[in-house]
Amino acid sequence: MIFKIDNVKKSYKNGEVTEEILKGVNLILREGELTSLVGASGSGKSTLLTIAAGLQPASDGQIIFEGKNLTSMNAEQVRKIRAHQFGFVFQFAHLVPFLTVEEQLLLMLDVSESKLKIREQKKEVDKILKLVEMDHRKHAYPSSLSGGEKQRVAIARAIIHRPKVLFADEPTASLDSKRSKDVMTLISHLTKTLNIATLIVTHDEEMLSFADHIIKMSDGQILQKV
Amino acid sequence: MNIAWKEMKKSKAKFMILGSIVFLVSLLTFMISGLANGLSQESAGLIKDLPAGQFYMTKEADQTYSMSRVDRRIQKQILSKEKDATAFSIQMGFLNDGDGKQQSVAFVTATSSKQFKNVEKGEIVLDKSMEDNGIKIGDALTNNQYKGKFVVKGFVKHSKYSHASVAYISMEDYKEIYGTDEMQLIFIPEGGTVPTFSGMGSFSNQQFLNTISSYKSEQMSLNMIIWFLVVISGMLFAIFFYMMNVQKIGLYGILKAIGVKTSSLFKIMWTQMVFITVIALSIAIFLSQIFTRVAPTGMPFSLTTETTVQLSIVFLMIGFIGATLSGLQIKSVQPLQAIQQGEV
Repeated sequence: MIFKIDNVKKSYKNGEVTEEILKGVNLILREGELTSLVGASGSGKSTLLTIAAGLQPASDGQIIFEGKNLTSMNAEQVRKIRAHQFGFVFQFAHLVPFLTVEEQLLLMLDVSESKLKIREQKKEVDKILKLVEMDHRKHAYPSSLSGGEKQRVAIARAIIHRPKVLFADEPTASLDSKRSKDVMTLISHLTKTLNIATLIVTHDEEMLSFADHIIKMSDGQILQKV
Repeated sequence: MNIAWKEMKKSKAKFMILGSIVFLVSLLTFMISGLANGLSQESAGLIKDLPAGQFYMTKEADQTYSMSRVDRRIQKQILSKEKDATAFSIQMGFLNDGDGKQQSVAFVTATSSKQFKNVEKGEIVLDKSMEDNGIKIGDALTNNQYKGKFVVKGFVKHSKYSHASVAYISMEDYKEIYGTDEMQLIFIPEGGTVPTFSGMGSFSNQQFLNTISSYKSEQMSLNMIIWFLVVISGMLFAIFFYMMNVQKIGLYGILKAIGVKTSSLFKIMWTQMVFITVIALSIAIFLSQIFTRVAPTGMPFSLTTETTVQLSIVFLMIGFIGATLSGLQIKSVQPLQAIQQGEV
């Protein structure tokens, strides 16, 4: 077990009313396993993912990563963990528009303070781009890539620094059915080969076949673990 | 990785627009500054080129040197006490050349000194600009209040007062024209302590320049234009970087989400600001220096290296402040907001 979500709660104050988005969620992520969070809109799955990824604080509960409690860390400590140990894939690729595919990945190595020399970094970039089948577009800018290609580059960026946990929020939502399957196959493959603990939020029932664990959420609570 | 440089390379047009505006504003500031400095030389070059020291005039003159008349006894006492002291007077007047053409000049006479040209009776030393107007050494010039003729003995560079050429004459000739041998002012070059004399008010070089009302008002107007331009350039920086930052809020959020430090985002912005400013300033300095060399002789324009360096530093500082103020929004960017906003 590498990642534990322990009784996490999240509530927002909306005027006089306090809305409870998460009502004490418990979850464990393991290396080499892909866990899918499913549920209707407003069920709290995206909120849970962003809290787990250190992108917003929990109102209560603990996020334990490698024995350390993220919720008790300061912003800089959480940023370091995000940069070094976590990878992110979002609904949109969110690539830096003025960097080439190769530079997007080099930037991530830079952010994660990679000890590799520049020549080794470039070799690593080539390797990962080959893995996501984007090595032929390494000098292309995002504006010249298709939606599927962009998402592949985003996945490559998320794993180039060998994160221990990969968070993916609806990574196939902006793609058609074929490209969605390709992306999920890739994420699933990388989870196994790179031994990453992956947490993925999805609406798409078709994509659940790629998951090792399926967590169904409703009204801020876990309904079912499969 | 130098993201700042890569962004500038990819978005050349955007940064060139900002750079060209900074260039135009800085060039305009350099030109106005050169003009202000040139005009100040025309207006009070005689005083400005003196070494640091103290000017003395009578208290009754109420800070108007033309009203000052230093008593000969007091003048003698001061000059015997202070070895380097000089008593001098400045009066506006006219000279007629051989063709009867009248030229406005500032007559200056002084006791024996290193700071002012000393001439014999009947002689005159003129500012170089008079030579450019066709007057030569040996020419005889006249004045309506002077019986004899002034023989031109030489020329001195950059000696102007109240936008007129300075004409150094002897004290005897001065007495003949203006009917007095009492000097208006005493100048003592800086020598540690500032001596005081009863009935005399003392002024530093700058204080004395400020007593000349025409000089003060002229410089005040020009300096106001210069600082107004500097403030405008600061605002331009702030507005441009603010607009660029607003466009990049989503990108900043994503970069923060993947772990980029907020300080690194500021460094990107500062690098771009310094790069644009340095390039724009370099071109503006180059062009203004060319102008200094090719400006028409009669044009009052003087842009010193010191002024250029000072203004450049001010531009860099104001650019930095403008960019930083506009960049404060980077600090408040929430990664989550950017992710939820959609594609950057």
